[in-house]
Amino acid sequence: MIRRMAEADETALGALYDQWSRSLYSLVVHLLKDADEAEDVVEETFWQAWRKASTYEPSKGAVSTWLLTIGRRKALDRLRAQKRRREDSVKSERIFADIPSSEPDPSRSAEGSDVREQVRAAIRELPDEQREVLELGYFSGLSQTEIADATGQPLGTVKTRMRLAMQKLREPLSMHRGVTE
Amino acid sequence: MIEVSHEEAFSELAAVALDSVSKEVSESVRAHAALCPECGPELAAMEETAAMLGHLVPPAPMSPGRKAGIRSRLVMRARSEAQSITPNATTPTFGRPDISRGVASLTGLGHKTGPQRELGESRGITTGRASSPSRGFNWVAFAASIALVAVSAQLFRVTTELNSMRARIAEADTTTPVAAPVAESLEAKIAEKDAMIAAMSGPDVMVVPLMTQSTRQTMGRMTWNRASNDWIMVTYGLKQPRSGMTYQVWLVTDTARISAGTFRPDKDGRTMMRASYALPRDALRAVAITEEPEGGASSPTGPMVISGSA
Repeated sequence: MIRRMAEADETALGALYDQWSRSLYSLVVHLLKDADEAEDVVEETFWQAWRKASTYEPSKGAVSTWLLTIGRRKALDRLRAQKRRREDSVKSERIFADIPSSEPDPSRSAEGSDVREQVRAAIRELPDEQREVLELGYFSGLSQTEIADATGQPLGTVKTRMRLAMQKLREPLSMHRGVTE
Repeated sequence: MIEVSHEEAFSELAAVALDSVSKEVSESVRAHAALCPECGPELAAMEETAAMLGHLVPPAPMSPGRKAGIRSRLVMRARSEAQSITPNATTPTFGRPDISRGVASLTGLGHKTGPQRELGESRGITTGRASSPSRGFNWVAFAASIALVAVSAQLFRVTTELNSMRARIAEADTTTPVAAPVAESLEAKIAEKDAMIAAMSGPDVMVVPLMTQSTRQTMGRMTWNRASNDWIMVTYGLKQPRSGMTYQVWLVTDTARISAGTFRPDKDGRTMMRASYALPRDALRAVAITEEPEGGASSPTGPMVISGSA
């Protein structure tokens, strides 16, 4: 699909959009809390994918990884430009908190639900303090310094927790690289 | 960019993958990782891991209209770009329009000195209707050479019309005295519409959704091609302004509110306006539509109808 996009086949862009727009929109609208802004970010993300298709390297990650990374970065750029992140709102959205052991999700494909559950399972294995740092970094877009301020922990502690969390997640989640393609 | 050792870079890989460091640190670590056989694969793996976290977000409903709208714009932009790269490409086959024809009634607001000078020179477009100056401007940085024009068809219709025109040209026998002027006229229209598509496509295009203040309902868009300085505004579902009133478009910067003309939507609430106006790439803060007395105002006075942040 990406190869066809690199060859200027716009139908491939449409197919890519059909496959991944919902996942991307879900993430972006969660970050921005604004459907119209999320719409812009989704459009610009796929447009960047179209323009940069020739530079995409499958060896560096799945297509979904690529798209989610671009989209999240664009969303965070908007948040940071508008200085919309606030501690109170940050603390009110806890994606990792109270992750149930199983949550049937009829709106997602079985495959998608499986990936989501596997990610949840991996998160469950992390100590609370590492989950907190990861959540504030990924879903709230806080820098390590901001996380240190928000949690009252030394910066060095935040850095260590973040690194350990990512290292622990890396192995179990790497099994799903192919699944998200 | 700052110098980082291998150890420093390695220790920051997780944070870089999560975008939790400054841009400067991120760029430095990425520069190191691009050349480091140990950090490069590690960073890629970390980014893959970070992206997997995105799957944790509960699925958010996306309206069919929104989803289809993004898709059609993307495919159209891609198709337009692909054709601009391949001049001899075959006739495009754009999808059916989703908005019917709309005609705007437009009025330019005159030429002023002052704040507009910092905004650079503007240029008109030849298809514009003559503007009539309005009175009593104090600061409106609108240049007379901004020629806002009513465009007789909305963008999506443009694409299908192009196909039709091209087919008609192909069928015409341009060697006959009668057919040649027809073909020339059609060619001119195609060129005009090609220019419109180009204005709304490409990496320099900024799109500002225009929404109501109360319900946040999207009722239009302003598209600004920052490379060509073409502006195209589309509205839909707008009520007619009250008797003796008109709608006025404002480009809001840090230092000025620039009138970009007045308009009246068609009976179905649709409008398409086009202008050419040079504005520094980062100057636009918002676009706003207010209801003003017929002929326009020198500064916003009436209620804001729709607006959007850049």
